[in-house]
Amino acid sequence: MSNRQEIPRRTFLRGLGTAMALPLLDSVLPVRAFGSSSAAAKPPTRMAFLFVPNGAHLPDWTPRTVGADFDLPPILQPLAPLKEDLLVLSGLTHDKGRANGDGPGDHARSAAVFLTGVQPLKAEGAIRAGISADQLAARVAGKQTRFPSLQLGIEPGRQSGQCDSGYSCAYSNNISWRDESTPMAKETNPRLVFERLFASELQKDVVENQGKRAAYKKSILDFVLEDAKQLQAKVGGHDRQKLDEYLTSVREIELRLERAERAQRIGELQGFDAIAEYGKEIGDAPDSFEDHARLIGDMLVLAFQTDVTRVATFMLANEGSNRAYRPIGVNEGHHTLSHHQNDPEKLAKISRINQFHARQLAYVLGRLKSIKEGEGTLLDNCMIVYGAGISDGNRHNNENLPILMAGKAGGTILPGRHVAFSQETPMCNLLLSMLDRMGVHEPYFGDSTGRLPWLEG
Amino acid sequence: MAKAGFGVMMIRFSSLIVALLIGAGSQPASGESLEFEKELKPLLSEYCTSCHGKEKQKADINFEAYNGTPAFLKERKHWERVQEMVRTREMPPENKPQPSEEERAAMVKFIDLALAQLDCDGAVSPGRVTIRRLNRAEYNNTVRDLIGIDFNPAADFPSDDVGFGFDNIADLLSMPPILMEKYLAAAEQIATNAIVAEVHAEPPVHRVKPRQFQFGDEEVIRLENGVLGLYRTGKARAALEVPSEGEYVVTIRAFGHQAGLEAPRLAVSIDGKELKVFDVKASEGSVGTYEFTTRLKAGKRQLEVAYLNNYNVQDHADPKLNGDRNLFVQSVDVQGPADFQPAPLPDTHTRLIPEMPPPGEEMAYARKILSDFASRAYRRPAAAAEIERLVKFVELAKAEGGSFTEGIQLAVQAVLVSPKFLFRWELDVGQAGAGEVRPLNAYELASRLSYFLWSSMPDEELFSLAEEGRLNDPEVLQAQVRRMLLDPKSKALVENFAGQWLQLRNLEMVTPDPDLFPDFDEPLRVAMRRETELFFDAIMREDRSLLEFIDADFTFLNGRLAKHYGIQGIEGDQFQRVSLSESTSRGGILTHGSILTVTSNPTRTSPVNRGKWILEQILGSPPPPPPPDVPELPEEGHTIQSASLRERMEMHRANPDCATCHNKMDPLGFAFENFDAIGAWRVMDGRFPIDPSGTLPGGQSFNGPEELKQILKTQDTFVRTFIEKMLTYALGRGLEYFDKCAVDAIYDGLRQNEYRFSTLVIGIVTSDPFLMKQLEGDDT
Repeated sequence: MSNRQEIPRRTFLRGLGTAMALPLLDSVLPVRAFGSSSAAAKPPTRMAFLFVPNGAHLPDWTPRTVGADFDLPPILQPLAPLKEDLLVLSGLTHDKGRANGDGPGDHARSAAVFLTGVQPLKAEGAIRAGISADQLAARVAGKQTRFPSLQLGIEPGRQSGQCDSGYSCAYSNNISWRDESTPMAKETNPRLVFERLFASELQKDVVENQGKRAAYKKSILDFVLEDAKQLQAKVGGHDRQKLDEYLTSVREIELRLERAERAQRIGELQGFDAIAEYGKEIGDAPDSFEDHARLIGDMLVLAFQTDVTRVATFMLANEGSNRAYRPIGVNEGHHTLSHHQNDPEKLAKISRINQFHARQLAYVLGRLKSIKEGEGTLLDNCMIVYGAGISDGNRHNNENLPILMAGKAGGTILPGRHVAFSQETPMCNLLLSMLDRMGVHEPYFGDSTGRLPWLEG
Repeated sequence: MAKAGFGVMMIRFSSLIVALLIGAGSQPASGESLEFEKELKPLLSEYCTSCHGKEKQKADINFEAYNGTPAFLKERKHWERVQEMVRTREMPPENKPQPSEEERAAMVKFIDLALAQLDCDGAVSPGRVTIRRLNRAEYNNTVRDLIGIDFNPAADFPSDDVGFGFDNIADLLSMPPILMEKYLAAAEQIATNAIVAEVHAEPPVHRVKPRQFQFGDEEVIRLENGVLGLYRTGKARAALEVPSEGEYVVTIRAFGHQAGLEAPRLAVSIDGKELKVFDVKASEGSVGTYEFTTRLKAGKRQLEVAYLNNYNVQDHADPKLNGDRNLFVQSVDVQGPADFQPAPLPDTHTRLIPEMPPPGEEMAYARKILSDFASRAYRRPAAAAEIERLVKFVELAKAEGGSFTEGIQLAVQAVLVSPKFLFRWELDVGQAGAGEVRPLNAYELASRLSYFLWSSMPDEELFSLAEEGRLNDPEVLQAQVRRMLLDPKSKALVENFAGQWLQLRNLEMVTPDPDLFPDFDEPLRVAMRRETELFFDAIMREDRSLLEFIDADFTFLNGRLAKHYGIQGIEGDQFQRVSLSESTSRGGILTHGSILTVTSNPTRTSPVNRGKWILEQILGSPPPPPPPDVPELPEEGHTIQSASLRERMEMHRANPDCATCHNKMDPLGFAFENFDAIGAWRVMDGRFPIDPSGTLPGGQSFNGPEELKQILKTQDTFVRTFIEKMLTYALGRGLEYFDKCAVDAIYDGLRQNEYRFSTLVIGIVTSDPFLMKQLEGDDT
């Protein structure tokens, strides 16, 4: 471990908006079984969803030509160096994001349906959607890793007021749902994400105090499980449901402890103390959107790189977000602008915001691509879906969504193309096909009508 | 699905009220009979029954299936949905004949009135609240009051989801794994901060370990298996930090390889001065302890151990004298000073553990300590079986070689992550059948009170009253409300209720354009919020009229905010109460910088947002959002230079699709156009003079904010909205149709009592929804 001292700590993880020195970490990371050049172990497939709010200016998003020789419209320009890794998917629809009799509230619905494919219950004081595709994947892929999944974002939830027309704010602030009534809260503070993944107390207990403290922790978990079970016998209805949420969460932490112990036993945590040391440089959320987005993006990449998890979601903003992107010269709020009424000036600004978001995607993809894994790169073993649940922010329509995919999912996807599907092709078909690649084989998902063809080329 | 109608309900219930204020039409006397056959049926027949009638029953709806008047109350969900469809123009579909605006409004209103015909004298449900997880503010405050110091442990928790404008709505307070993790980490942090695991009754021992010694030649001295081996005559030195001057006991654990006539001789020096010499007669396997007392000065001292009499003879005539004598030092303990005063234990520690148990009494002490703690944490007396399970943590700690206090730490951690602590329970054990109603017990009531007014657990007084069974006495309850409102902890009601009702929390997120509003900075943002909080606090503590929220002759300003408002004579950072003269345009929350800023866009004011805010927060009638795909305004572009905002908005309203809602919102918002996007006074908007006049849909006209405030003040709508908002917050659930009875009763009380703040709170606290609960089972 002598090379550790040679890495100047100051160059690490400053969040200065420039590419950070994380690649250097490769030198201290353990060589994973699947990272070796022996063909014995195939690297696992990772799945991530990056969400952007308020739709996109589609004329600047959709390539005019289909197939391998597609053009990159203005919004996708920041992704030019990664064109060979992109699969632009036009024509996908989320029908359950439409009103279908539920009246206004398109923003809330579009986020709630994005990964669930389920029409959410319209209510401010109750939440019902469905399990999201990432969580379904996490049930299987998450068994192999210390964290079944990771939820990241930039904006915390709204603190007061209404979010959207009679829908609880939970719908606008989350895209990942563990079950129909439990949205998976996201972490927006890069320091806390880091501590959770690499420097948590839970892990320290296992690594440093294998005896006493681990026994204490377990006895506390046993105690509260017993409490919950006793109460379970006495309650029904919504109370019961809340208690079930509690039980599931406690059990997940028990599992995590077990996995951390196992990882320690088989030497998987070697090198993590080095990461933890460098992580001390990571601060709370910076003011600049781009710095913040890159730091969170770094966390996602690091989590995949170290195989701490294989499933992640990242909301670049909450649905309906009205952030003003001043550094790129947009002083009006994003949501306000998205009701553009075809005003060319507003459309130009929307397009600029969309492009700015795509730049953040380009950063994450670039980082994934820079990391060697097995015979290729980390990106080759990922499938990253990027997009919105609304198509045009002015019309709030849910067909022809702006969606693209990156990575090869271990060679099962052929990127470098633009594929245009027929109108009304369910977005859930894509989710179902992605689930296949995560080892989750379902007959259908949401309103899917089948697998999405042509992903393989 | 009992809760499905919440969102719709709130809107519907309030839109009736607003219809009375700004809608056209006469107020119906209560009990006035509604004639379905005459009023609603003809409209349904004309516009709906071609798809929802005898011939076709799309969506399983048949409006021609009724013999006489439908049972509106029984079919509430159905009719609310019908109303929502008509109201939001989802129905009839675009390609079918459309009712006129008047007809549409008549249908909506008829259903409103039909659903509002509730007999409050009969049996009215008090509703049912799901168990409530403590939200972030409640968790912080509860830990503060339970443990005794303010840790702000919830700072890193994920934010709680908001519904009905509040983050304490039971059904939305979910428990994802990340939150459970945070609870576990926080519990450990709290327990270790509050309780000292190792309590020193004796002076502390500083141990110098062999590896801390320095020595020269390895032939002479070396470290072997963690023991300092002195093989030849020589010395080893180690640094010793002496905390304060005093008598210290130095204890050396050592043994020797015995040879020759003498035992190995060990000399101990400090700072080069030899203090004691020992003959180390102990052998390997029976380590000896050598002890002396000496006075040491504070600071860095040098400790030295020396081996004085090496002996190594292998060829002696007397074989008994052959041998190699060596000295081994295992450790040097320095204990002191003798007059050591144990560091005072933190209050949090002595509060939980007033004294250490004498030997043999540990389990009895643990039982008492944990019984007190768990009863407060669970906010009701802990049962014997619960306490026994907690006491096991002390046994566990002892078994693992830990201390008594470590065991208490563990038990405290376990309590802090137990569902009994994290959720507020109102269990129905042993109660009557499903769907029946029961009064809350005294402990449940104490918690409802304290979480409503303090966002925290009950205090000792509430607990004692609960124990004595007196809390349910209406007079006691009233006295408690008055006491609690005056307690400093009621600032939680300002921060959490007012902060969310008035959306002050959103002030943190506004980003006025720095080029257009260079005056806006952090101190101003903070001052704006402070003004409104202090104002709310004054109305609460001074038990003033709720109407003063709309119109008041005082406010609170510091120098920065007074300058922003153009009010002379206020200097400094401190806030002071300021009387507002007739000549100023300020007075009441609608003219506070906080509200005016929170409702503006980054680059300009938004009369629409301001109007919408007033409809939502003051008049309780949120307008529907704009329909998607609003048609382009052809005027836009060149008119932006040639017409005022008002003129442009009026063009907008010429479109009948927009007019229905904008006729309600825009006049309310335009009344405040003299206040710019950060609440500063202005008379011009760019090149255009401000015109703050307007006409409400009901026909009342006003000229500027003062006159509008007079209109708002003389209506019951604001007061009723205020009741609804606070009742929602107090209960942690959205209001249901039957809550109208409680709102009516609270309103009557307020009207008879000058709309005093305490009357509102007492009205809520003594209402059925607050005092009772419906048992699980009946789903309506």
